[in-house]
Amino acid sequence: MRNFLRLVRELKAYWKIMVLIAILTVITAGLGLPGPLIVAHLIDSLYKHNPINLFLVFLALVGIAAGTGLVGYCLTFAVTYLGQQFKMEMRRRLYSHMQTLSLGYFEKNQIGKMMSNITNDVATLDQLISGSFVRLMQDSATLIGVLVIVFIKDWKLALVALSVSPFYVANYLLHIGHIKKAADDVREERDIMLGDLQEKLAGAMVVKSYAKERTEVRQFVGQTRNLLDLNVDLSMLGTRLWTIAEFIGSGCGVALIIWYGGREVMMNRLSPGNLVAFISFITGYMYGPILRLIQLNDQFARTNAALNRIFGTLDTEPNIQNKPAAKVMPDIKGHVEYKHVWFEYEPGQPVLKDINLDIKPGMMVAFVGQSGSGKTTMINLLSRHYDVTDGAILVDGYDLRDVTIDSLRKQVGVVIQETILFNTSIRENIRYGKLDATNEEVEDAARAANIAHVIEALPKGYDTLIGEAGIKLSGGEKQRIAIARAILSDPRILVLDEATSSLDSETESLIQEALDHLMKGRTSFVVAHRLSTIVASDLIVVMEKGVIREAGSHLELLQQGGIYASLYNQQFKVALESREAEGVKL
Amino acid sequence: MSNFRRLLGYLRPYRYRVFLAVFLMFMVTLTALPLPRIIQFVIDRVLPHHMWHTLNWIFWIIIGIYLFRGIVSFSLNYLIGWLGQRVVFDLRFHSYRHLNRLSLSYYDQRQTGKIMARAVDDINVIQYMITGGFVTLITDMLTLVLVIPVIFLMNVKLALIAMAVVPIYVFNYKLFLKKIRPLSVEIRKSWDALIGTLQEKISGITVVKAFVRENYETEQFIKTIRLNYDLQMTQATLNRILAATATIIRAVGTGLVYWIGAKLVGVHTLKVGELVAFTGYIGYLYDPALRLVDFNVQAQWAGASMDRVFEVLDTRPEITDAPNAKSMTNLKGSVTFRHVSFGYSRDNQALIDINLDVQPGEVIAIVGPSGAGKTTLVNLIARFYDATEGAILIDGVDIRQIRLESVRRQIGYVSQESLLFSVSLAENIRYGRNDATREQIIQAAKNADLHDFIMTLPDGYDTKIGEEGIKLSVGQKQRMAIARATLTNPRILILDDATSALDSKTEANVQAALEKLMKGRTNFVIAHRLATIMNADRIVVMDKGRIVDIGTHAELVAREGVYQNLYNEQFKSAQDEALAELLG
Repeated sequence: MRNFLRLVRELKAYWKIMVLIAILTVITAGLGLPGPLIVAHLIDSLYKHNPINLFLVFLALVGIAAGTGLVGYCLTFAVTYLGQQFKMEMRRRLYSHMQTLSLGYFEKNQIGKMMSNITNDVATLDQLISGSFVRLMQDSATLIGVLVIVFIKDWKLALVALSVSPFYVANYLLHIGHIKKAADDVREERDIMLGDLQEKLAGAMVVKSYAKERTEVRQFVGQTRNLLDLNVDLSMLGTRLWTIAEFIGSGCGVALIIWYGGREVMMNRLSPGNLVAFISFITGYMYGPILRLIQLNDQFARTNAALNRIFGTLDTEPNIQNKPAAKVMPDIKGHVEYKHVWFEYEPGQPVLKDINLDIKPGMMVAFVGQSGSGKTTMINLLSRHYDVTDGAILVDGYDLRDVTIDSLRKQVGVVIQETILFNTSIRENIRYGKLDATNEEVEDAARAANIAHVIEALPKGYDTLIGEAGIKLSGGEKQRIAIARAILSDPRILVLDEATSSLDSETESLIQEALDHLMKGRTSFVVAHRLSTIVASDLIVVMEKGVIREAGSHLELLQQGGIYASLYNQQFKVALESREAEGVKL
Repeated sequence: MSNFRRLLGYLRPYRYRVFLAVFLMFMVTLTALPLPRIIQFVIDRVLPHHMWHTLNWIFWIIIGIYLFRGIVSFSLNYLIGWLGQRVVFDLRFHSYRHLNRLSLSYYDQRQTGKIMARAVDDINVIQYMITGGFVTLITDMLTLVLVIPVIFLMNVKLALIAMAVVPIYVFNYKLFLKKIRPLSVEIRKSWDALIGTLQEKISGITVVKAFVRENYETEQFIKTIRLNYDLQMTQATLNRILAATATIIRAVGTGLVYWIGAKLVGVHTLKVGELVAFTGYIGYLYDPALRLVDFNVQAQWAGASMDRVFEVLDTRPEITDAPNAKSMTNLKGSVTFRHVSFGYSRDNQALIDINLDVQPGEVIAIVGPSGAGKTTLVNLIARFYDATEGAILIDGVDIRQIRLESVRRQIGYVSQESLLFSVSLAENIRYGRNDATREQIIQAAKNADLHDFIMTLPDGYDTKIGEEGIKLSVGQKQRMAIARATLTNPRILILDDATSALDSKTEANVQAALEKLMKGRTNFVIAHRLATIMNADRIVVMDKGRIVDIGTHAELVAREGVYQNLYNEQFKSAQDEALAELLG
């Protein structure tokens, strides 16, 4: 219920159009009523051979229809306007809110679920607003109008007509529990099927390399067959409900009216015309609205789930927020300090323990360590995707939490291991780093990332589409485009998280050249497994289980003979031995 | 239109049920006809002549008719529901089976979400069309067939008047169709674009955030939804204009019938009850026309969905078994490339004239810059693609002559991307071999240096991964993929950069285990780190789609060329200091 109150509040901005809709609805419902009455009058006149102006009857009927058409047009327009506006606004808000949420949110939630939040849940809401709300108003107005008229005309006949409605309602209530359960079963089975389908299609490569196609098809058939049975059950229940409803409403209702109404006519208590009007009122205008009113309940339940999810998203507070007094960080030099930094993703499980580091502007720092040692966390904290649990990170003396997130991230360029490019042209992808970059700047960046020659060899050059509709790039090519993108954004602090791991040594050395050039004058953070890429660092930080174990230059660390030295020897032992074996002169 | 005919083809196996359904529809329609006649009888005969007894009978007759109608329509709806679900089942089954037959190139070019949408959403739209639109359409047509003779029999003059407005309606409808059709296509497109953007930008959120493009993306998104909004509004307007015109045309028809009918009653050529019955029947005449609007909208969507579903079904798998393909169960494992050329697209050759002869049990390392064609080369062995020119032979037989399944079952392939499924760790490892015992699974995990890690988990091997379970690191996933591949005991083992995400220590452990496993099998190893491949029997050096050199490490490093350069590059920066440190 609280959800609906909140929804009403959300709708407040649209109160003018809603009032208009209410008025139009009542008019539409009202326009439905005179038709049968006019016909009744016509029939009675004919019956009693009274004179009647037939042209007027014709005009009235056509006029009412024209009115209904016109008002209906306005009504639909208003309702569509309301629904679509609301949908658009909700989607905008959800999307822009999601954009403000921290990375942790996206790691926890599945893409499909977030998408369906924006698409399906909002659509469900729209069905409630532009479908059920309007129908509710229209049905209530119609029902009240019809009841008033039939009770005035012949209250006994009205009571007779209404006498079947309890059975009508009871039939509905008896079925609905079973239907709901069946629908839940269908939904559950469907979700299982969808989940599996999604995974197996995304993993087509694995399915194929193990030649498991037939097994997968067999399993899928099993699932869809279950779904088939459940769906047939569900549709049978629905059919039973509606068949009985039709029998009670149209069958028994009409039979009763003709029987009792006929008696009334014969006793001269009712005119034949009114009897005909009664039949059309009761069959056309009464049972339908009664049933739809009961059904609303169900609709509300379904919408409530959607509302929960929508408001749940909107209420999720970003973990990382600008402080009210956050300042815009001016252009920085790139002096980074970690001061007693502690961090934990899950309470009680520190990933970083009391980290202290002082990185001067322009320095290149390399992080070395086993997976899970905290290297990536170190740099995630620097971009402020997470806030430190304890301690502080300072950039040029500013505590990261005291400056606006935008002004920080604009000066930190990140190239990550998993290359994400968008389905647009190569040019647009590179330009993503600086939206107002000229074509020349884009091409310069491509050149610096050693990818220009590859792009220029393509028939459409920089305008080549990549991704689904375009060409396929190799992992190394993608990575270099991502690097060009980062180069273009010209950050003061550069973060390379395994940025070159999918490049072979030759390309890597080409790119290393570009990167060396790029890193000059910038503070850079590098995470790499391959020691050969990091030996040139000013500072190598060896991490283990969230603690800095060693820090120093390559030579210093080798002399210390600690973890780094043993890692190093391990990686080069084979090569060195083979060199020896080959008798290469040293 | 041909699509609809093709859809009807899916009903063919159930044609008797379809005939029965049509017959039942006919019966249901038939039961709707007596009521206006009964009302006519009541008004014209029963009421003026005070036939009390007959009135009681009429009550029971109406109840009877509706009881009969109820039973028939229940059977009908049950049958229709079953048919609809059954066609969905068949379509889903065919699509999925077909998707599984399609080659990897199909998946390379498409997002999973879009493929899913076809297998699920599009088929649902078709189902609504069958159980909703089709049934209404047929019922309506049957009604027309029955009602038109009835009204002409009742009164030719009135019938002609009632029919007179129909051409206006049809004309109006045709005009409308011309406008609404392109619009429906536009709406569908804008919706797809919206979903596409959403999918892409949500999965690429790290990039969006890294470049602080949140506001920019929101603006872009608003543009997409705005477009969709405008189109929807135009559609609503058009629909409503059609509906309003239809209401008025209908009212003109009904009004004319009352007008002329009443005049006929005045001159005693028509009775009042007949007029009432007649207007009841013309409702049956006009209602179907109004419903065509709904049906049209539905048919438009269903048409688009059918296009997409049939497009999937019509995509020819590039890789299929030759008619006379044979099963080869116990491969020795020799692999021969004979003048093999291959291109993903016509103007983009990935492999050019590859010749290579690999003996059973050999370890072949493949090196070269990215884009050289290394992954393509091993993909061809697993027959994910077929060579454009030349042939690949396994044990001397062209692989196009061997049953696909029998080749792939004997190849263990660990790809760059480690894809795992949302089931338990044990089930993931067992994926390649359902009958594996617990011991074998544990052994495979040990080979991949995973056992110790798995034992630290509360649920051990039964720990679920994925959405509801734990999240594995890239390195752990890679090791899982290795464990999975080794469990199948393949004759040919392909490792495509399988250890790239492992740190040196883990890699060394895994490498040691792999070396043991490689014995007695034919092995293809792609790696960037030279240290991992130096022990290979032969090293194949590739560049720009060609094999530029083959030899052992010692041979290759001794002669000038790509390999020597690679080698020097990788060790240049480190070796001097390392040697200084270690040796001197």
